[in-house]
Amino acid sequence: MQTAFTRFMLIVAFFVLWIGGIGARLVHLQINQYEFLRGKALNQRRDNTKEKQLRGTIYDRSDRALAMSLKVKSLYADPSEIEDADAAAKEVAKVLKVKPNDIAAKIKDAKTANKRYIVLAPKLDEDTVQKINDALENKGLRKGDLPRFAGLHWKEEQKRSYPGGSLAAQVIGFSNADDIGSAGIEQSQELALRGAVIKGWQDRDRLGRVYDESEEEEREPPKDVVLTISHSIQYKVEQALAQGVKNSNAKSGMAIVMIPQTGEILAMANYPTFDPNKYNEFSAENYSNRAIHDIYSPGSVFKLVTYSSAINEGLVNPNGEIDCTKGFIEVAGHRFNDPHATKWMGYDEALAVSSNVAAIKTALSTGKENFYNYAQKFGFGQATGVELPAEASGIFRSPKSWNGDSLASMSIGYEISVSALQMASAYATIANDGVRVQPHIIKEIRQDGKVLSSTEAQKTQVVTADTARYLKRMLREVVLKGTGKRAQLNGYTAAGKTGTAWKYNAKLKKVDSGKYVSSFIGMAPADNPSVVILVVMDEPSGGARDGGQVSAPVFREIAEQILPELNVVPDANIRQETLTADDIPSEIEPNSAGKTESEKTAKNEKADKKSADAEKPKDLKEPKKENKPPSDNKKGAKQKTAALMIEIPKNKSSGAREEEKT
Amino acid sequence: MKKRNLPKNSNREKIRREKDPIPWRYCLLTLCCGVFLVGGFFFAARSHFSSIDFGIKNSSLKKQLEDLESEKRRLTLLKEIALSPAEIKKAAKKIGLTEMTASSFETVRPVAEEKSEKTLAVKETKEKPKQLVEKTVDAKPVEKVGKDGISKSAPTTAKKEVKEKSPTQIARK
Repeated sequence: MQTAFTRFMLIVAFFVLWIGGIGARLVHLQINQYEFLRGKALNQRRDNTKEKQLRGTIYDRSDRALAMSLKVKSLYADPSEIEDADAAAKEVAKVLKVKPNDIAAKIKDAKTANKRYIVLAPKLDEDTVQKINDALENKGLRKGDLPRFAGLHWKEEQKRSYPGGSLAAQVIGFSNADDIGSAGIEQSQELALRGAVIKGWQDRDRLGRVYDESEEEEREPPKDVVLTISHSIQYKVEQALAQGVKNSNAKSGMAIVMIPQTGEILAMANYPTFDPNKYNEFSAENYSNRAIHDIYSPGSVFKLVTYSSAINEGLVNPNGEIDCTKGFIEVAGHRFNDPHATKWMGYDEALAVSSNVAAIKTALSTGKENFYNYAQKFGFGQATGVELPAEASGIFRSPKSWNGDSLASMSIGYEISVSALQMASAYATIANDGVRVQPHIIKEIRQDGKVLSSTEAQKTQVVTADTARYLKRMLREVVLKGTGKRAQLNGYTAAGKTGTAWKYNAKLKKVDSGKYVSSFIGMAPADNPSVVILVVMDEPSGGARDGGQVSAPVFREIAEQILPELNVVPDANIRQETLTADDIPSEIEPNSAGKTESEKTAKNEKADKKSADAEKPKDLKEPKKENKPPSDNKKGAKQKTAALMIEIPKNKSSGAREEEKT
Repeated sequence: MKKRNLPKNSNREKIRREKDPIPWRYCLLTLCCGVFLVGGFFFAARSHFSSIDFGIKNSSLKKQLEDLESEKRRLTLLKEIALSPAEIKKAAKKIGLTEMTASSFETVRPVAEEKSEKTLAVKETKEKPKQLVEKTVDAKPVEKVGKDGISKSAPTTAKKEVKEKSPTQIARK
């Protein structure tokens, strides 16, 4: 009995010890070694992930994508997992269609340097990825991720694509290999477009399948940018501009189309251009958005400001006439010749033939301060504030630093540098009844389809509606009878101004009479404009070089294509007309030195010499009789109306084109 | 175990041990507890593996969703490339279409006027072959089409101005 009891107790003791040992081990594992074992388990099953959100999309005004990002994969190798670099390189090279020696060398160099990440094929699309996975499949290998090849892995990345190619390239810009905006909207809206890097983790089972995942913190998705650009109008403008540059053998060209009532930019084109999908293949010069970066002397197009300021101040009667009989004007010892200035002429005609004498006299009557103030109100000397990077403000000195003849020079578009967008905005002001609307290129910003913000442009009344109407009438005459005849449209009325200015040579520090900037800025329809179109040609050569011959036809090409697209009702007849060069008066360049090339101005000079001693205008303000009220006599004017009919030119030689480029 | 003190002379063969009664209740209770414990383990294991299974399915659905989103983006890109003006122009040229310009449009006019204008134009060309500009009759503006606030009707001021002075009456210098 005793023995049985003892045996029983021994068995009990054995079980107690056994269970106690197990218990103690459990306590040790779960309490003492908790952190160590937990870390090991997580390490085994958990992957830390880093994923970058896709960059925001850039749309045009019709929700057509101009720039968008796609998920792509890059093939990379971890040399520490590759035993035989040569064999691996051979197989990989076959699939990627590259030289095996290059890949082998890369792997070996990385192994020596203890690198664990070398890219073999960057940013491949899904189809190519699948082909590579199938080609490199090694069924005997147990591997959690694809490709099933020792040492090779895929890395998720994103690739920026521009489906329009070179369409609006300088406006959209491009993002570099690190997905950072480097030009255009991509750069200026980098903060909105950029996708955040989201960190997270994934738990995988022994077969590599993910069964749990989470993100460390919630991030806002990137924003999408909707531009005011219309892709179809932009295309047409680019085509017309390219053709115009080639026809005139110009160095470059730019064109802007704006809606004057809203300040929206429908198109902003530059030539030459580039393809953002392969920006590396183009010269960096082509990246520049000349329409806002380049500044130039505007020439006669700036007369808009001259006449606007005088008319708005009531200093001139737009229905009156101005004395341009002398053919020249002297200001502060500098003579400005003008072959068109041979008679009394109405302001309409003065602008139509681009008379410098008339413009200078008008500016002199306005005065320095007034002229400067109006020019500033029109937006010159300051950036327009368009949402593009590195916009030029232009050069417009304050009156304190002006010379004696600066007002005269500025009145005809010299001694001032402007950007194309500033000029387009000034003309849009007149088109919009004197109200300047800040030009803008972004329509709205969206996030996940919801509109976060839309642009509200600033509006400023620069001149009265009446003044704007007078100016429109005068600009209409330019197109009907003046230097802008080649801008006449089929089916629509148009108004505008040509400009042909010598380029400023920074090395010589003076204007270069051999190089021109030829422009035409117009609006259509003339009375109630729907669009303002600016065309500028830089250094046209090999033939005609003035704005009327070189830029006005491009304006016409653009306007005739886009006005029907904008559903603008035609307000004129279709006309069939072939204009020759003789039908169009040319732009006259300022002649401060008094030297000319043509016989006609030489004749004028002889006449000038006779009267030079007798008439030395010290008092630069002309007598009041130049603001002659309208009369019924022959010289009287002429209440010009916005004529719907086209007049047959009576005398082809009067006001005819003169060859002199003084 | 009970310790029994038996007399020395007892006839052990004749003595029968007392049988302890089987505690059925306690056995049943133990059995139930055991079943409950084991069942609990099975339930926990099943929940664990089914949650793993759901997790795997969830992740694969998420992956599928991401793949479909990527595919949608890829197709959107292809669509945009195909619909770009350059591509449309190429396709149009291939099938023999030509681009329309404003000169190929005509303003809406009554047929009778058109005929008379044509004859007038023909006469004029016969009489003055060197004339560069055709004289046409004033066109009546077409109906206003309003879209996007951009389309404009023909200005009424232009009408008035035309009535006041026809172009042929404009004084020539």
